[in-house]
Amino acid sequence: MSTTAPPLLRITGMTKRFPGTLALDGVDLVVERGTIHGLVGENGAGKSTLLKVLAGDYRPTAGRIEIDGEEVDVSSPRRAHELGIGIVYQELSLLTNLSVAHNISLGFEPTNALAIDERSLAHTATRVLGRMGVTSIDPAQKVGKIPLAERQLVEIAKVLTLRQPRILIFDEPTAALGQADVDRLFRIVEALRDEGVAIIFVSHRYREVLRICDRATVLRNGRVVGEVLCADTSVGQLVELTLGQKVAAAFHREWRRDEAGEPVLELAGLHVGSRVRGVELTVHRGEIVSVCGLLGSGQNQLARAVAGDATDVAGSLRVNGVERTPRSPREALRLGVALITENRQEEGLFPDMAVRSNISIASLPRIVVNRVLRLIDGRRERRLAADVAAATGIAARVLSRRVKVLSGGNQQKSLLARWLMRRADVLVLIEPTRGVDVGAKLEIYRELEELARRGAAVLVVSTDILETMALSDRVAVLYQGQLAGIFDPREVTEQDLLLAMQGGVAAPA
Amino acid sequence: MSADAGIAGRRSLERAVVVDQVRRFADTLGIVAIAGALLLGFGLTSSQFLLSGNIRNIFVQISVVGVAAIGETLVMLAGGLDLSVGSVVLLSEVICADLTATHHLPLGVALLAALGAAGGIGLLNGVLVAVVGIEPILATLGTLLVAAGLAKLILGLRYLQVDHPVFNDLAVTNVLFNLPIMVAVMLGLYLVVSIAMRVTPFGRMVYAVGGNRRAARLSGLSLIGVTIAVYVVAGVLSGIAGFLNVAQIGLVSQNDGMGLEFQAIIAALVGGLSVTSGGVGRVERTLLGALIVGMMTNYQTIKGIDPSFQQAFLGGLLVAAVLADRVLRGRQ
Repeated sequence: MSTTAPPLLRITGMTKRFPGTLALDGVDLVVERGTIHGLVGENGAGKSTLLKVLAGDYRPTAGRIEIDGEEVDVSSPRRAHELGIGIVYQELSLLTNLSVAHNISLGFEPTNALAIDERSLAHTATRVLGRMGVTSIDPAQKVGKIPLAERQLVEIAKVLTLRQPRILIFDEPTAALGQADVDRLFRIVEALRDEGVAIIFVSHRYREVLRICDRATVLRNGRVVGEVLCADTSVGQLVELTLGQKVAAAFHREWRRDEAGEPVLELAGLHVGSRVRGVELTVHRGEIVSVCGLLGSGQNQLARAVAGDATDVAGSLRVNGVERTPRSPREALRLGVALITENRQEEGLFPDMAVRSNISIASLPRIVVNRVLRLIDGRRERRLAADVAAATGIAARVLSRRVKVLSGGNQQKSLLARWLMRRADVLVLIEPTRGVDVGAKLEIYRELEELARRGAAVLVVSTDILETMALSDRVAVLYQGQLAGIFDPREVTEQDLLLAMQGGVAAPA
Repeated sequence: MSADAGIAGRRSLERAVVVDQVRRFADTLGIVAIAGALLLGFGLTSSQFLLSGNIRNIFVQISVVGVAAIGETLVMLAGGLDLSVGSVVLLSEVICADLTATHHLPLGVALLAALGAAGGIGLLNGVLVAVVGIEPILATLGTLLVAAGLAKLILGLRYLQVDHPVFNDLAVTNVLFNLPIMVAVMLGLYLVVSIAMRVTPFGRMVYAVGGNRRAARLSGLSLIGVTIAVYVVAGVLSGIAGFLNVAQIGLVSQNDGMGLEFQAIIAALVGGLSVTSGGVGRVERTLLGALIVGMMTNYQTIKGIDPSFQQAFLGGLLVAAVLADRVLRGRQ
């Protein structure tokens, strides 16, 4: 035996290539037993990809994983489970109709001769919850009946059913939690650390990372750009490492409308189910307004309601003075409202169609020549598509290629081009720069500014505060579905916005 | 550093663009190469296969399924599936034969009535799938039985003889090379539909709805409208396929069109369509698919292979086409 034991987890040269993007590019990571290791980076930096490789969801293109000095092949989620790798996911994966006990053992239910062994199931649940020091949750209760913060604990309990948890990964565990619940979560995480488990803690909340982690690794564009000792690091340093050239901070608006244009989008007392509660907001011609809030504060539902992609919408919604609540995206488009969602692949692109057809698909009537035969005028289509492609920075020669070969940034630009060609009055975007590389981010900000300059009203939902600050004319902050305030980003600080997002009071501008 | 990244990014884009170009070319070339190889192989191993009379036979034999397969292709491109094709062929034949032979109505009226009924079944398919929200495979299984039931209700236990000169012409009169009109009708339909899929908004919308429903909805396309339209077109084309079948056989009986939907689906699959997702494929490749299947069947018949075996072979071909699709498209 060597005198220095190998680390519990060692990842070397981890590389994952997707068509058109290099999501991970030679990532090295070492996590010692009994330590908490932070993993931070912008959206699209490669954190989720790395987690999915560890969870056995993705096969790496290259690289090796060693546990206790032995190379392992995490070929499937089941294999990850056998190796003692557990992940607590950010999107809660619980089944609300099943009891807490059933959820905890889901997929690995103990059985007796006939069926699921209910007693053993309840016993397991009590044991793992007890180990976490949680007594407030009744294992027989349905998950749908318990509060969100406690569901998070059930999610953790699920992972603790591993026979021998060795490596536990927490993916944004505090995103939906209040302060008291965060403290409780941290006590549990620290207890696990003291038992010798190696913990990877993924979070956008740098203060929390610095508080609980021993070391932290910073990813940017699929590469490790730094590893820090948390005790010697400030939030500012971490932010700087994450952003690199401080992308969003490096963006400065070149154009702003001097006086307010006429109102294009007016929301009054807007409700969406129980997620958005009585929001008043007006977006004027030539204006970029951001809506932000903690995860799950209703901002996505608000955006989708405006674009006709939500049910249970009440209150008043006016576009260009016409009061009507669109019941479908088609109806919203007729009113002039277009939506780009956070899921480019699932909700935006036609992967096997050419970039040009992806752009023109929402403007077919504009390129039809013969009213009777309804034929597409190829020349007119090429010209119009080339115009909007040039305006959004898409190289002309990729227009006839399939959109799936483009990078994330170029794919996003082709969606912008789609709505530019459609001449949408209101453009609603959810997380417009997710999964987009640094250079393309700046270009997309510039395009949004350009769209505003051409007279569109732009509504952006973003969880990236720096982006929000740099890009918007005004920032609307939602807290628990209600408007917490509307701010002028030039007159407030990032801290003011953060405070408002947490439900604190800040003087609205 | 950012300049380096920019160049590397551009280079990887260039590579991706070239790879994409090559792959698309290989897709088309692949199916043409298979058809060519079969033609060569069968020609070398059978003295009759390449005779012009036999080539004519192959085209005549595939014309009915070929026309039905155009509609099937559109439905599959839009992300659906149509099992009612064969029954609609039968229904169209029966209406056409009954109105002309039993009721002595003019042929034009009979053809319009048959097309109307065929389109009506297509409309029903479209409404069940798009409006009611039933899975295509189940909805069209239902209308398969409805259409077959209606046809058998009209036909009873009769065999209807059809000897209208127009039908005789369709099957007998040669128009191009030594191919009869019915083959020309099939080729003409392929030409028109494959051009229409490229140059009309309808074609674009079919590819979009099949390629990504969510995105199509958010792009303002009418999922209901496009879905209903492809099923109606498929119904009408099956109706036309029925006319060609009457022309070829001259007789209408209960078992006409049986299993035709599977042959149409196999032709589309061999031509490179996917059963699991729409949005990818070309109408004209289905013609090659139908030709490949037709050549295989014809070759087996020449070689005196038992028809029951031929049916099993078609089933094997279906599975092989699905597997090839999965391998070629690569699994994530």
